[in-house]
Amino acid sequence: MTLFLQRMLVGLRPFVLVAVALVAWELTARSALWSPIVFPSLVNIGHEFALFVSRSDRLLEAWTSLYRALGGFALAAAVGVVIGMLMGRSELVAGLLDPLFSGTYAVPKLALFPIFIFVFGIGSLSKVALVFLECLYPIVIMTYHGARGVDRVLLWSAQNMGASRTQILRRVVVPATAPFIFAGFRVALPIAMIVVVITEMISSADGLGYVVIYSLASLRTDRMLAVVVAIALLGLALDHALVILRNRLVYWEKLETYYV
Amino acid sequence: MTLRNLARAGLLLFLVLLWQLLWVRGLPDYVLGPVEILRHFVAALGSAELYDHIGASLLRALPGFAIGTLLGIALGLAAGIARGFDQMLSPVIFLTYPVPKIVMLPLFMLWFGIGDLSKILIIALACFYPTFINAYYGAKSTPTILVWSGLNMGASRSQIFRRIVVPSAAPLVFAGMRVSLALSFIVMFATEMINARSGLGHLIREAENSLRFDLMYVSLLSIAILGYLGDRLLRWTRHRVLAWQGEAA
Repeated sequence: MTLFLQRMLVGLRPFVLVAVALVAWELTARSALWSPIVFPSLVNIGHEFALFVSRSDRLLEAWTSLYRALGGFALAAAVGVVIGMLMGRSELVAGLLDPLFSGTYAVPKLALFPIFIFVFGIGSLSKVALVFLECLYPIVIMTYHGARGVDRVLLWSAQNMGASRTQILRRVVVPATAPFIFAGFRVALPIAMIVVVITEMISSADGLGYVVIYSLASLRTDRMLAVVVAIALLGLALDHALVILRNRLVYWEKLETYYV
Repeated sequence: MTLRNLARAGLLLFLVLLWQLLWVRGLPDYVLGPVEILRHFVAALGSAELYDHIGASLLRALPGFAIGTLLGIALGLAAGIARGFDQMLSPVIFLTYPVPKIVMLPLFMLWFGIGDLSKILIIALACFYPTFINAYYGAKSTPTILVWSGLNMGASRSQIFRRIVVPSAAPLVFAGMRVSLALSFIVMFATEMINARSGLGHLIREAENSLRFDLMYVSLLSIAILGYLGDRLLRWTRHRVLAWQGEAA
């Protein structure tokens, strides 16, 4: 019996911190030490969240943010994998592009956003372009890293068995690089969400980032926190979806993550 | 090798030249030529205003980076070696990892005011995650054999931690710090663009609003140079501290 209790306690450990934080939050909210604007009660946040999920105009905002993030991400994925592959398999391309990517890697691309607004307009296009640029780096760098490190013995044996260049690419290089490509995707996808939310907070009239700023400006912090929760859940869901897709496609290599 | 370097320099020069030529041919107002940008940048370097903005930005990014990475390394190492702590803390960290931390900014603004404190804390929060995860995996993947042999030779727990766990986690910790440094600049810039009265992000917003394209490019170039220098400095430190480890990407 004690053993059972002990096991249960160990099993519950992950939830301890969350539970403590939530209880502390609710107590603070109820204590009336701070105004409900600073610490809205969980009940109000939950109510606003339910409203958020049930109202179609709010869901439309989520959809706006999502398609900006995914659009930029998809573009970056398509272009980045090709560039990374070329860099990994060709000395010449690597020599030309590697300094470009590693030199500008640490530069915050967000600084280009005001210029992008002038070039692409204030609508979705400038945001998608910035998401594309920010996501491109991790994808290119990881793909390059993977494609460069393809086991030479595998390439030789494929050549020996008379495989053509396209066959080698399809059957050897792409599968060997796939785990790295997905590792790059996994870094890039949260970045896509971050960039979309930031750009919407800076200048936009729609999307989740805008709703956050607008709710804050109208002192509806419960609504703001509900949207923050929605953004967090969206980020989590996207990451999970990516991991599921990865484990389907790269089934021969187990992904070591904590929570999936 | 030299031929390759020559090709690189050639490509760069070609791009800059093409840009300049295009600019001479006539581009929209918001695209300046490289020579123009350089001229404005040099002019701005001579004025005190740019240094004020750079100083204000660095005073936000660097404390945030320091707080975030120190906490991340400390808690990450602790979670990597202590199982009970790991089971309590890690699920929360890994669960909130893909969440864009910048959405907490409005909340932080409510709690800590709209001044520098909320910005520093949000930068610290963003910097915390990469270092935590890297320090965690670094400490976790310490070769068991090394710990055993340390124990066998009579090392105390603190000795094992200092002499075995920390050095074997160090390469990953530096990788995490590199990500954090880039993040700290991004978040700094974002917070300054959203609300600030000083800093490079504010400068670029102000320039945008008053259509001062020259200032926009000056701010852009400054942040690029700062990001690049910070990255170089970190790589140099890593090279110094981890001299036993070969060059890594």
